[in-house]
Amino acid sequence: MIEAFNRAMSLSGVFWLSISLISYLIALWANKKCKGHPAAHPIIVTALLISLGLYLSNTQVSEYQRAASLLHWLLGPITVALALPIYRQWQKLRHFGWRLFASILLGGVLAPVSAWLTLFVFDTPSAIQFTMLAKSITTPLAMESSAQIGGIPALAAVFVIVTGIVGAVMASVTFSLFNVESRQAQGIALGTVAHAVGTAKAIQMGEDVAAMATLGLCVNGIFTALALPVVFGLFI
Amino acid sequence: MQNVKDVFIGAASVFAAYYLGLLIVSATSLFIPGPLLGLFILLGALFCLPQLESCVARAVTVPLKHMSLLFVPAVLGVSAYWGDIKSNALAIIIAIVITTSFSLGITAWFSQRLFNSKKTKAIANTKSNGHLDD
Repeated sequence: MIEAFNRAMSLSGVFWLSISLISYLIALWANKKCKGHPAAHPIIVTALLISLGLYLSNTQVSEYQRAASLLHWLLGPITVALALPIYRQWQKLRHFGWRLFASILLGGVLAPVSAWLTLFVFDTPSAIQFTMLAKSITTPLAMESSAQIGGIPALAAVFVIVTGIVGAVMASVTFSLFNVESRQAQGIALGTVAHAVGTAKAIQMGEDVAAMATLGLCVNGIFTALALPVVFGLFI
Repeated sequence: MQNVKDVFIGAASVFAAYYLGLLIVSATSLFIPGPLLGLFILLGALFCLPQLESCVARAVTVPLKHMSLLFVPAVLGVSAYWGDIKSNALAIIIAIVITTSFSLGITAWFSQRLFNSKKTKAIANTKSNGHLDD
């Protein structure tokens, strides 16, 4: 932590942190202009702008990562902060009971296992296979747990975000294809399978959908992050 | 002034839970990530001290809303794995696009059936109750 702060105070630290912050503000503005379309997720625009900056100033990515290590370090505390939304959803969880848990469990197991199976069939390297297991949970938890099971955190972040975008973009088509009209069910599926990006889409669909999506996001996030390292620790 | 104090208490509890989580995991070599244990510690603290909620909320609401910014250094690090991604592109695209859509549909369909069965049961119950009341 002290090291991260020291780097942030150095000249290149201040420079790249400011560039990151400005890029993010531009990304937020662009997202608003696109009416919050999932494909215009702020992180994509931010990453593109910073890449452009790195390219123009002929800076290595590793150099940027060192300069901006404060941002990366904050991922740990922000993971802990997720306790707040989970705490706030607790009453609702009890209200909906086992049906909600069963739905989230199905989505929480089906999404990573089917994705992993695809990679297994195609015989991709095992680090990529393991990383894919964390694709349906919120980014900070996915990065932590993929590191724990021998996956690649950077790749986990990308898989997670792309999964969220795909889920949010495909939601309406998929729901009409599977004949799902229940708004409750749509919310649960979006939060469970497409985490925070799916939840952002659910917020646009209405408050009732958003509440269920948040439940899916929280419950699946905790259980997957808890289950992955334990299963790997015990059996592999 | 009170707000500043709340933010300070909220942030201090988050960091305390974070470091406690890291400490316990490194001391006991548990399987789970330290920050996840920290999350559970903070969750436990919120259940024991509900008045902590407003302080924590003041400290973390804005960072949580903008946490995307924190992933940027990690996401840029993916360029190091570009070769791996390219050589497995087809499998990765199928794994993300097809299985995500499929899982989304199945989960929603299953959950709709579960909740509908509850509704029909509730309707059946009110009907039979109504009958008894007659």
